[in-house]
Amino acid sequence: MSDKTVPFGPRNPPQDPLLARAAELPKDIEPPRDLWPGIAARLGEAPRESRDRGFRWPMALAAGFAVAAVSALLTWGLMRPSPAPAPTVVAQQPAPTPDDIVPVSYGPNSGLTAAELAARDALVAQFRESFTKLKPETRVAIVKNLAVMQAAANEIDAALARDPASRMLRGMLFGTYKQELQLYSAVVTSGDGLTRRT
Amino acid sequence: MQRVTDPAGSGEAAAELVTRASRGDAGAFEALYRQHAGRVYGLCLRMTGHPQAAEDLTQDTFVSAWRSLPGYEGRSSFSTWLHRIAVNAVLAKRRSPQGRNEVSMTDDSGEQMDFEAETAMDDATPIDVERAIAALPSGARDIVVLHGVYGYSHEEAADMLGVAVGTCKAQLHRARRLMRARMGGEAGA
Repeated sequence: MSDKTVPFGPRNPPQDPLLARAAELPKDIEPPRDLWPGIAARLGEAPRESRDRGFRWPMALAAGFAVAAVSALLTWGLMRPSPAPAPTVVAQQPAPTPDDIVPVSYGPNSGLTAAELAARDALVAQFRESFTKLKPETRVAIVKNLAVMQAAANEIDAALARDPASRMLRGMLFGTYKQELQLYSAVVTSGDGLTRRT
Repeated sequence: MQRVTDPAGSGEAAAELVTRASRGDAGAFEALYRQHAGRVYGLCLRMTGHPQAAEDLTQDTFVSAWRSLPGYEGRSSFSTWLHRIAVNAVLAKRRSPQGRNEVSMTDDSGEQMDFEAETAMDDATPIDVERAIAALPSGARDIVVLHGVYGYSHEEAADMLGVAVGTCKAQLHRARRLMRARMGGEAGA
């Protein structure tokens, strides 16, 4: 591991007088108080990551792509015009009930706020009301897709723990959150049509 | 070319501190904190305009860095790595309703000025470039802080902020226009 010398301040002196003055501002501003005691008190609480990185990024990427794919397919399935009824429908397994719906649990590195999770939970409540109107096979698909999203969230959160500076990972995790909301929203907003469709 | 040395230094001593901290040496990590706290706090303060939020975000940044140091491989400088964590922390805070009240006092439309941030700065200071930056809408302020003050390229700043390079350049153009309007005759001095 080596620390490199990096340039601070513009690589080339800016021509714009305003930017030139901005570049002359002091880079360091000392905090008004010593923040170290508060940091030190929290170090023991924070689990440290091990060095066995390497596989996490690909897994996180794969998980993100999987979420995008299944969510898009499921949303398409919910929104497309209903095909002609199949001659026979054989139930392969009991249709899930609203109690089988487990919203995605996001880890400590997600950066999602309590308000964002509360907004999601409010949507979940509406979603549960519409859930029983769905066809059994659709309900099965939704439960499976939520499991895929959970796996993706787990992988991305683990990767974020190792690389907290990654905007891409944070974007992927927020993308998973948005996909989850879109799934619920698609069901809630199409609820009336779903009942007529079956 | 203007070059300002990494606050942690570029020699073996700085690298040794990072290595020891990554192995769990809290004393080495405190030394890194002492070297980098001013720059991280400065970045957070300039991006948020709020001293208390900047303190919290500085602490969050170092706690997150401690947790993640074992995975740090030195592909970017420790300072840049730390700054990325700080920028992510600021952006995450901004997304929250609490953060919108405490941190981001302006929307990103550019129409509303950032009065909270302005008052958070030293009122005795004349309308100088620091206060003009603090009064910018958040999107424009971010790029002026990262590119103008801390010297990151448009590409680096765009990557940190999760936006397109073209967006960064457009925000910088907008920032310069707003700052000139605010500073009047001082701007070209």
